[in-house]
Amino acid sequence: MTQQATDFTLDTATELAERDHGPIEGRSPWYLAWRRLRRNLVALGALMVFFLIVFVCVMAPWYAENIAETGPNRTHLTDKVEVDGKMVDVISAGGTEQDPETGELRIKTVQVLGPQLWHAGGKYVLGADPSGRDIAVRVLYGGRNSLLIGIGSAIICTILATVFALLAGYYGGWGDWLITRVFDLIAALPVILLGIALGTALSINGFHHGPIDVESGSLWIPTLIISVILVAYVGRPLRGQILGLREKEFIEASISQGASARRVMLSELLPNIASSILVFFTLIIANNILVEAALSFLGAGVQPPNPSWGTLISEGQLRIRTAPWLTIVPGTAIVLTVVSLNIFGDGLRDALDPRAKVRIEH
Amino acid sequence: MRPQGGAVNQMGVGMTERWRRLVGLFALIAALTFAVAACGGGDDEAGGTTTEASGGAAEKTFPEFKIAYEPIDYMDPGLSYSVQGWGIMWNVYLGLLTYKHVDGPEGAELIPGLAEDLPEISDDGLTYNFTLREGLKYSDGSPVKASDFTATVKRLFLIDSPGVGFFTGIVGAEQFAKTKKGEISGLVTDDDARTIEIKLAKPQGDFLHILAMVFAGFVPANTPAKDQSTTPPPGTGPYMVDEFVPNRRAVVVRNPNYAEIDGVPKGNPDKMTFTILEEDSASLQSVIDGTNDYSSHPIPVDRLGEVQNQYADQLKLYTPANTYYYFMNNRLAPFNKLEVRQAVNYAIDRAAIVRLYGGLATATENFLPPTYPQYKKILMYPHDMEKAKQLVQQSGTAGQAVTVWSSTRETHQKAAEYLTDILNQLGYKAKLRAIDPAIYWATIGNQKTKAQTGLANWFQDYPHPLNWFDTLLNGNRITEEHNNNYSNADVPAMNDKIEELKKNAELTDEINTEWEGVDRMALENAVVAPFVNRQFTDFFTAEMDLDNCYVNHVLYQFDYIQSCKKG
Repeated sequence: MTQQATDFTLDTATELAERDHGPIEGRSPWYLAWRRLRRNLVALGALMVFFLIVFVCVMAPWYAENIAETGPNRTHLTDKVEVDGKMVDVISAGGTEQDPETGELRIKTVQVLGPQLWHAGGKYVLGADPSGRDIAVRVLYGGRNSLLIGIGSAIICTILATVFALLAGYYGGWGDWLITRVFDLIAALPVILLGIALGTALSINGFHHGPIDVESGSLWIPTLIISVILVAYVGRPLRGQILGLREKEFIEASISQGASARRVMLSELLPNIASSILVFFTLIIANNILVEAALSFLGAGVQPPNPSWGTLISEGQLRIRTAPWLTIVPGTAIVLTVVSLNIFGDGLRDALDPRAKVRIEH
Repeated sequence: MRPQGGAVNQMGVGMTERWRRLVGLFALIAALTFAVAACGGGDDEAGGTTTEASGGAAEKTFPEFKIAYEPIDYMDPGLSYSVQGWGIMWNVYLGLLTYKHVDGPEGAELIPGLAEDLPEISDDGLTYNFTLREGLKYSDGSPVKASDFTATVKRLFLIDSPGVGFFTGIVGAEQFAKTKKGEISGLVTDDDARTIEIKLAKPQGDFLHILAMVFAGFVPANTPAKDQSTTPPPGTGPYMVDEFVPNRRAVVVRNPNYAEIDGVPKGNPDKMTFTILEEDSASLQSVIDGTNDYSSHPIPVDRLGEVQNQYADQLKLYTPANTYYYFMNNRLAPFNKLEVRQAVNYAIDRAAIVRLYGGLATATENFLPPTYPQYKKILMYPHDMEKAKQLVQQSGTAGQAVTVWSSTRETHQKAAEYLTDILNQLGYKAKLRAIDPAIYWATIGNQKTKAQTGLANWFQDYPHPLNWFDTLLNGNRITEEHNNNYSNADVPAMNDKIEELKKNAELTDEINTEWEGVDRMALENAVVAPFVNRQFTDFFTAEMDLDNCYVNHVLYQFDYIQSCKKG
């Protein structure tokens, strides 16, 4: 008795599946990634936290105008505010008084309005600073500025890094050598030191060369500085990926069929590194928010009186003994934003390409 | 020739001789007492000696005085023009004249420094004759020559010193300022006879005070004509600068070649270390922690109550002659229009700004501080935002970009942030530019910076209205670099009045009334917007002896060299 040979083909499983569940539809890599991502509830939760922070900061002007009734830089040195039905000084008069016993001059204690939560009808929720400015309004506006710089610089940095990586990886030769050396040069300098040097120089006189005309104090200055100083950390790994792809058969085939360099770069290479770009973009936002905070804390980022979370921490640390919330609140906002973006970024990376080792290191 | 202040001088010498004998007696008794105490095994932590002082405080040496200090602009007597720089250097670089090291108004009394005596002044007030003391040496041991005075004055012009305007009245100085070559004909010296003759082109009522300024502190003739901050030239005072690291520290030690001059004490600390801290809170904390013995910084507003309640005995409150004001560059838009400058004066709420300083200030519209006899309170610009907005509309400048300048010192920046807010409320696109305090004055004093507006303050160099109006608001004294007239105020009628009053040697009641008029003229033209006269604090560790060794000089504030420790 002989055993009958099994008719085993590659399509058998598919045929079986089709017989049991109907025909299988083709799914794009993006759909598959989304399917994996939506099962990662921690990553989605982190994304929600980030969106919530963005929403709250976007609503800053509405809150400032309709509830707090002030602006982020508006001083209220002699104003009074109603707290639980009583009128209270935002900043008390201070000055000196004569000691009734000794007759000597004594310095009077100065009261700066502390956190009112909702006791003042939504005003001074987090209290006032010594200039009588509403801290809650400044934290929200500071968040807007930090997010604008973080996201804006991430967009510019990612675009620059992608363009340079494509040019270097595709063409190779002296162009690759030049771009790689520039990346090496930028990466050789400590990020914060380079940022301080550029930030300090540009914050004095701005940047006025050729068509670029940026005034000092503009948010474009920290945005562009952060874009430039971090471009190597995104550009180098992307170039590495393109160098690997450049030798693949489908690229050779595309070139042999007469595709132009631009077409190869945009239609063949770019889609193949798109997932990495997306993950880098997510992670670099968090990174850029941290760099902005550090530069602003050191006076080389957002210029006072405009708030950012970094400048608010810098201002707050001067009175950390008497008003620790001035530092804790913006600090917590930075931590929440950065952690949520990093968790989401990790989830996105796992969803798009679990084998990828995409991370920002400097 | 008429002897200037001869009677005062004779009395002064007599008094000094009596004091010297008394001091000698006390010193002998104190030394004997100390020797007996030492034999008895007394504990002397400071390792110093105690004697009675000839000035305001006791003599009690100790090894090191550690000071939390504010940023210093320069450590070069020709370039520094700050309270911080001069606070150190008035004890390092002596000129022909100097001031008594005592508390109160008496501290403004001129005494001979390197000169043997106060000068002989010609009847026309144009010629001053001095004779140097014999055997004077610089801290490096080299001899002090009469010709060093000429070299010192010439060096001021060669380095574009902020003090050149004080010396342009010397015959030939204006020509030297232009060519920077040759000699200043109005300075005639004889090294052998140790004589110095100064000829002025026209009488100058404050010239003796000018000779007591740090700018006129002698430096050797071979001192290079460039910033010597990091290698300070030798001086002739009781102390010398041992080390200066910009924005870090200054170390000042005793001058081994100091020939004691009556009224200028030898000083108590053997060494003074000035650690430069930018933040007021860090400075305060360094004294509370015991890292430093003294903080020159103002106490942060939110900690005033804590310091008063817990450390009242370590705290001194004082009011030097000072004015804080906003300068408005009269040459640049929008402040080249009177309406705009008046609008700023109406818009700022001076009473509100007082609260920025914890109430340790008095609102003012006068440029001259209230300690002056020429002061008459001006009430010209009540806080009126609506009127200010109207004036801006009239000027047609609303919407223009304005940069408000400030140093990053907290007390400066807060006031500048306030002005930025006010200008934005008036319809301008105002932004703040805050820079390092060490370079702030040089930056806004350079015409190339084109500083539109910002914060400025003034502490008197000497008690004379000229030091305010001539130095800061006389259009004839505007310079390209190291300009002190930050507003570029140039009102011909005011310039003429200042020049006219400058010729008067005496400040009579009539002249004082004229100076009141100049103060008013400055505000009518709104060349500046004065806002407060501040009070200040000195804060010490409990170890410091404030009962016996605290001298707050009318011009230079706390006199570091007279400090001492308890016990």
